Amino acid sequence: MRNLYSIILSITLLVGCGANNASSSESPQQLAGSVDPVQEEASAVDDDIINDILQSIPSPLEISLLIKEVGSVYNKADLNDPGRVSNYNTNFDKALNLGIYGTDLGYSNIYNKNQDALNYLNSVQNLAEGLTIGQFFDYATLKKLAESADEDLEALLRTTTANFEKINYHLREQKREYLSILLLTGGWIEAVYLTTLVHNRTKNEVLKEKIGEQKIVLDRILLVLDVYKTKNGFGELITDLKKLQSIYDQIEIETVYGQPTMVEKNGVLVVVDNTKSVIKISDRDIDSITSLLKSIRNKIIK
Amino acid sequence: MSEEILKALTQLFAIISKQDGGVTEGERNFVIKYFKQELDTNTVKEYIALYDKFSDYGVKELVPAEDEDGGKKRAKKRLTNVKDSVRTLGICRKINKTLNQKQKVIVLSKLLELLAADRSFTPQRMEIINTVSTVFNVPTDEYKLIESFVIEEHSSKLNHEDILIFDDEMPPEGSKIKFIDSGLLDGEIIFVRVKSVGLYFTKYTGIDEIYLNSMPVKKGSILQFSPGSVFKTPKGAPLYYSDLVSRYNSDKEADKISFNVYGLEFKFPNGDIGLRNVNISENTGKLIGIMGASGAGKTTLLNTLAGLENPSKGEVLINGFNIYTEKDKIEGIIGYVAQDDLLIEDLTVYQNLFYNAKLCFKGSTKEELDKRVMEVLESLGLDRIKDLKVGNVLNKKISGGQRKRLNIALELIREPAVLFVDEPTSGLSSRDSENVIDLLKELSLKGKLIFVVIHQPSSDIYKMFDKMFLMDTGGYPIFYGNPVEAVVYFKKASGQVDSEQGQCHTCGNVNPEQIFNIIEARVVDEYGEFTNRRKVQPMEWHKCFQEEHVLDRKEDIKEKPPKTLKIPTKLNQTVIFAIRDFLSKISNTQYLAINLVEAPLLALILALIIRYKGSHDMEYIYRHNDNIPAYILICIIVSLFMGLSVSAEEIIRDRKILKREKFLNLSRSSYLISKLIILFSLSGIQTLSFVLIGNTILEIEGLNIMYWLVLFTVSCHANVLGLNISSAFNSAVTVYILIPLLIIPQLVLSGVIFDFDKLNNVISKRGMVPLIADGMASRWSYEALAVEQFKGNKYQSGIFEYEKQESINNFKAAYWIPKMQELITATNSLLEQKNDSTKALAAANLQILKSEFLKDPYTINAGEGNLEDFKNISIENYDESVSSRLWYHLEDSKGFYSLNLVNAGEAKDSILYVMQQRLKEGENLKELIDRYSNDQLTSLMKNSSAEERIDVENGEIIQIVDPVYQMPKLSENPLNYRAQFLASEKPFFGKYFDTYVFNLAVIWLMTFMLYISLYYDWLSKLIRQFSNVSSRRFKRK
Repeated sequence: MRNLYSIILSITLLVGCGANNASSSESPQQLAGSVDPVQEEASAVDDDIINDILQSIPSPLEISLLIKEVGSVYNKADLNDPGRVSNYNTNFDKALNLGIYGTDLGYSNIYNKNQDALNYLNSVQNLAEGLTIGQFFDYATLKKLAESADEDLEALLRTTTANFEKINYHLREQKREYLSILLLTGGWIEAVYLTTLVHNRTKNEVLKEKIGEQKIVLDRILLVLDVYKTKNGFGELITDLKKLQSIYDQIEIETVYGQPTMVEKNGVLVVVDNTKSVIKISDRDIDSITSLLKSIRNKIIK
Repeated sequence: MSEEILKALTQLFAIISKQDGGVTEGERNFVIKYFKQELDTNTVKEYIALYDKFSDYGVKELVPAEDEDGGKKRAKKRLTNVKDSVRTLGICRKINKTLNQKQKVIVLSKLLELLAADRSFTPQRMEIINTVSTVFNVPTDEYKLIESFVIEEHSSKLNHEDILIFDDEMPPEGSKIKFIDSGLLDGEIIFVRVKSVGLYFTKYTGIDEIYLNSMPVKKGSILQFSPGSVFKTPKGAPLYYSDLVSRYNSDKEADKISFNVYGLEFKFPNGDIGLRNVNISENTGKLIGIMGASGAGKTTLLNTLAGLENPSKGEVLINGFNIYTEKDKIEGIIGYVAQDDLLIEDLTVYQNLFYNAKLCFKGSTKEELDKRVMEVLESLGLDRIKDLKVGNVLNKKISGGQRKRLNIALELIREPAVLFVDEPTSGLSSRDSENVIDLLKELSLKGKLIFVVIHQPSSDIYKMFDKMFLMDTGGYPIFYGNPVEAVVYFKKASGQVDSEQGQCHTCGNVNPEQIFNIIEARVVDEYGEFTNRRKVQPMEWHKCFQEEHVLDRKEDIKEKPPKTLKIPTKLNQTVIFAIRDFLSKISNTQYLAINLVEAPLLALILALIIRYKGSHDMEYIYRHNDNIPAYILICIIVSLFMGLSVSAEEIIRDRKILKREKFLNLSRSSYLISKLIILFSLSGIQTLSFVLIGNTILEIEGLNIMYWLVLFTVSCHANVLGLNISSAFNSAVTVYILIPLLIIPQLVLSGVIFDFDKLNNVISKRGMVPLIADGMASRWSYEALAVEQFKGNKYQSGIFEYEKQESINNFKAAYWIPKMQELITATNSLLEQKNDSTKALAAANLQILKSEFLKDPYTINAGEGNLEDFKNISIENYDESVSSRLWYHLEDSKGFYSLNLVNAGEAKDSILYVMQQRLKEGENLKELIDRYSNDQLTSLMKNSSAEERIDVENGEIIQIVDPVYQMPKLSENPLNYRAQFLASEKPFFGKYFDTYVFNLAVIWLMTFMLYISLYYDWLSKLIRQFSNVSSRRFKRK
């Protein structure tokens, strides 16, 4: 998984530079003259850094898998209603909710809920079309996977990830990273939200720790979001997430360094990183994160 | 005559003849002769006895013996006189109750005739007759005239305009007496006309052997000269009733008309000859019958004479004007009463006449017209039923005879000088038939020239005609002349006995059947069975006729024919037609109800059925109703259907009336426009009710006017289309069978049911509406409605432009540029292979690249002057450096389009935020979209289900996705309007036009073209051409 990410990262970086060049070259300002000239945002943060951060945000699917491993039961009500897709009209809403549906799609797929998965697939496609990124969505393959009974999780993860990567890549290429970050933010919020829900039911320590770990991710997300704070809708989202951040600020993460060791695994020598993070998180913090996240999510999915 | 009346008459005879010297033998013989005419032998005796009793016949001999007491006798005589007078009065009153005026005049003449038998006109007798005439209400001067006619022995004593002599000697100069030359004749034949009843009496004063209706005429006897009678003198020409009548009428201020037919021949479209060498010459005031076996061509003759059909040879001149080539000169002169009813069924008798009169007399006030109509109605005895609806044959409101008379009335009201009547008596009772012919006869006496096709006339009717024109199978004229003479002619020709007698000696009946029995007599075979072969072929009869008959050519009258017709202006005609049509339609409640209820009912059923609620919705939401695109199509089909069906029968139904009104030379455009006014109004109401109900139920908000305008346009288009087929085909059934033929292509080529991109490749080219579909109103209207509903609604209208920019730029960046790069790569690898076939492929690719670059806005804008590079793209100067230059150019343009895409997206979002803020408290954008935008329609407009979004075909790159946003390119040909289906703007004359406006304009233009075609009846002509060709071909086989 990580390998895949790194490959994509390198490609992104390469093309990102290319795109940068393109935008700096002389380009006629208007095509058909009917678009109001929108001032190009002067990025406070370098594109590369943004891409870097974006890449480091974990895939929501990982969390989904984790939840299933914990042994939680699938609960349809936990997810966003696929019928609500028509509520999302601005590109801002569409992008955020595309992220949320993406997570829901993966989640329902992991549990092999075919009909639900197909519904999410429809919603995902609808939003993707609205954002003019529908073409990068391998709808046919996804549908086949969702319809098949056997749990080919590996293929599912591969395809879903590939799709999201393609979309992210395309958005970046078109200088629409702000949609990319919204997509990721939406996916992330839904994943953490599901984790808090399941944690609430199971009080599982792994999940608790996972929630705590998100402090780092949230910081990164906010860092990128801040770049686009003047764009419509961003302000409110940033404010909401900052509140969440303030709760996370009370959490301490201690890193305990250990020496890397070499272990033989299936006849291959693998380096094991023994550095561990110790997360100090109280139940009260978890509770307030849970409730705040729920309200943020509800605001997004309306 | 009833027994009672005969008894009364007998008494009258007796009373008169017993006065002043009693009954003479001559008088008694006259009475006996009269009885013999009326009664059978046994009853005659009975009546003679009665007569003798009343007239004291035989008793008289005793009276002179008792002449001693003269005074007593005188007193007794006076007493008798008083008694007789009282009795006379009583008898006359009785007669008054039963006999009509004509019959009473005949009775009166009989009484005078009785006296004339022995010429004893004593004062007593004359006084009694005078009393009778007073009680009978015969005008005094007429009675005096009859009296003097009976008494005087020579015409020189009679100086009255109602007296006519048939003699070899002219009456003296200054005499009022009319004269007809008889050729050498002893004495004279005197006629008197009793004007008030239209009867003619005659007497002969000479000693020549002359015949009235083949019966010898006794000197001095008074005879009635009835219609159809003929006098034959030994030397001169015969005198026909009609000649006499026209002589009497000759000084009348009648319109002078001459009617000359020269060698008329008519050929049917299939080449058969319908008429051969017809020659006719007539002038004012004649009633001419046309007879012939069925299929002989009577109606053809009538139609040709009336100018309804054009002859293949010959001409018809009215006052010297050719009726085929100088139609304008004889406008309104010809009237035509067809065999079928030419009535407007849903109007009353009065309305039928009134609107007809209105079309004939410009400038007359309503009162004048009303008076005229009422006069005609009264004269035809139709005034009692004037407010009854005419109805049709199946739903009878008025009788057949009344219908026929009304048909004639329609022509009479405008007083045409020449009238053609086709079988006015068919299907009528003998009484009605006689009434109708009486009416025509009366008209002819008033100076009209009337041609009547008649079938199996009764003797009385037959004799009423002035002339008879007989035809035989194959259009051969075989007789033209006096009707009674016709019988004689054919009897003679076939060598029958008593051939000289045209009518029965005693009763005066003529049997027209006889003529046809002779004409069509069949050969008998050796077993005595009739064969199918005729004794005399039509040709032979015709030859015989030509040899015997010499046409008395009347001179052409040089003046212009009289004209009573004053046609209103075109505008007024339109108004009259429209009012008439309107009245006719509203009086047909069934028609009206169905037409008005049909649309709202359909809308109700349709909308309720397709009011679909998505599974996730709590209640119905317009946005989630997947049926909206189909609803639009159904709206259009319903409009087309209603428009067609309401108009399809219009002209067919009026065809008969149009045929009649053809002679009025009314404006076709007025007629058509009146139709359009009525039909368009109806369409307007229908489509409005449809839209209001359908859209309300489906909660399509704020688009009613837009919808209505499109559906109204479509419906009007269908109206004119329907009128075209209605005008071209001859039965309603045919037209209704045709409707699917017109509707189904509209459905198929509407662009909704079948994708235009996926039609047979012969007719369609991807990314363009096929030309064949451009003839379909459905395609234009669907596009107009769908595009306008998508982009013109309250939500979409604000962001449409931004979404369009998004789409255009996204297409360029995400599809077009990669495709171009793909082409470059493909070309490079093709060129590496270095063989001829790959080289050709590479050249083709380069051609696509070149044309695409030259169309690309970025390339055009960025490359000012630099464009040469792209123009020069070709296989010859293509190398690696060109390839990489192009590649980098594409990369540059990708940046440009991406930037535009981002900008457009953000602009759209800002608009949406503004919209959200402007909404009232408690509302959100979602609700706005739910109400105004429809997902399924959006998906259709963006073609989002397309699997391929871009394709290369015919040397260009075709955009398949987002047709509504794609701007069609402006062609070098300014008239080229073609674009992809569902384009939101149309190129025309170097500009872009809004699809809604443009498409509506196109439909109205097509409607206008259809109107032109309707006006000139192109379709009808085309069909006639076609049927001519096919019937000829059939014949050849």
